[in-house]
Amino acid sequence: MLALRNREKIAIEALYDMYSSSLYGIISRIITDIPTAEDVLQETFVKIWHSFSSYSTEKGRLFTWMANIARNLAIDKIRSKDFKNQNKNQEIENNVTFIDEQRNTVYKPELMGIKELVATLKPEQKSILDLVYFKGYTHVEAADELGVPLGTIKTRLRMALMVLRKHFN
Amino acid sequence: MEDIKAYIESGILELYVLGDVTPEEKLQVEAMAAKHPAIKAELGEIERSMEAYAEHNAVEPPDGLRGRVLNSILTNFGDDRTFEKYDDAKDNVIALPAAKQNNFYKYAFAACLALLIASGIALMNLYNKLLESKSQIAVLQTNNQHFANQVSFIEKDLGVLRDTSYKFLKLNATPKAPAGTAVSIAWSKQKQKVWVDLATLKMPVNDQAHQYQLWAIVAGKPVDLGVFDSGADSTGMKEMKTIAAIKTDAFAVTLEPRGGSINPTMDQMMVIGKF
Repeated sequence: MLALRNREKIAIEALYDMYSSSLYGIISRIITDIPTAEDVLQETFVKIWHSFSSYSTEKGRLFTWMANIARNLAIDKIRSKDFKNQNKNQEIENNVTFIDEQRNTVYKPELMGIKELVATLKPEQKSILDLVYFKGYTHVEAADELGVPLGTIKTRLRMALMVLRKHFN
Repeated sequence: MEDIKAYIESGILELYVLGDVTPEEKLQVEAMAAKHPAIKAELGEIERSMEAYAEHNAVEPPDGLRGRVLNSILTNFGDDRTFEKYDDAKDNVIALPAAKQNNFYKYAFAACLALLIASGIALMNLYNKLLESKSQIAVLQTNNQHFANQVSFIEKDLGVLRDTSYKFLKLNATPKAPAGTAVSIAWSKQKQKVWVDLATLKMPVNDQAHQYQLWAIVAGKPVDLGVFDSGADSTGMKEMKTIAAIKTDAFAVTLEPRGGSINPTMDQMMVIGKF
């Protein structure tokens, strides 16, 4: 962390090695176009590097901060005009499963038993989690998309998180 | 305590972690977290869960991307450190357009040089002409002087001719002199001056050792009036020595050694004239 603050080369290397796959997981679910997703990952790390001084440990975990940067950049990209034009014909909603079929998800040793996780998450919990976490929907948009009230969205999201928490602990 | 629980269960903390809150909500959550350790702990739990979920859904980016990303950051270091896996570096070396050759100064220099040479030649010509003109002026000045002298001579001559006090006398040849020998003189009693008219002089040319000498015969005695030469180019009138005597019997010219003699060599008398 100190190394990162001092802008040392080794810090950004370590950061990349630790978090690039998690961040790329978020980005590539929002952006299906591979070259664009790669660009966004690059932009994400550049932004992390340049605005690192604005991060403080008191505000939360480093990953949360980075994930939000990645998600915001990806959403900005997908909402930008030229990207929209480029992907007119693709239905974004169907892409999560599409990507999962296309790529090999990385299973880390500490995440063994993931199949039970997927099983423990109820479908409506998983869908809300994926919408807000992996597609960059705001909870308002998600409520709209799923046709449920805002309160329900919040509750479901919380429930999903509780399940995750229980599982990972 | 109930409030805190309700706050936690409202789902706002999850949205906060997702960044899906308004700036006001964000400040509120941060304030609450700072105040209540339970909320802070809850936030930490949510963050960890989300992080784990992201890890679970991680997708390994392509190998080449690592080098690309890290190098794009390192470019900003401004140093020459590079990462090893830099295998998809784009060839971004753009040849700078070759500077357009500017021949202007070359030509300008050549033009200046040519102008300098031309100027030099012109100056030399001008200088030569100046010298020529100077010599011409010198010649003209000499001529002018000559004419001025001539004019002054002629003025004097004319003065003699105009002056009514002068009397003109032609001295005729003696038997010893060649036939036709004659000398014209002008004499003014009042001005006591005697002139010999060299222009109308008809005397044999004298050599370097001798000169003609004019004498006035006053009361039977010769009085020296000076010497003159006879040459082919003799012009104008020559003023001789002043003559004090009012009464003069005659004028005569003898051939004497150069410079004249005190007494005339009578046997060398060339011409004589009486009033």
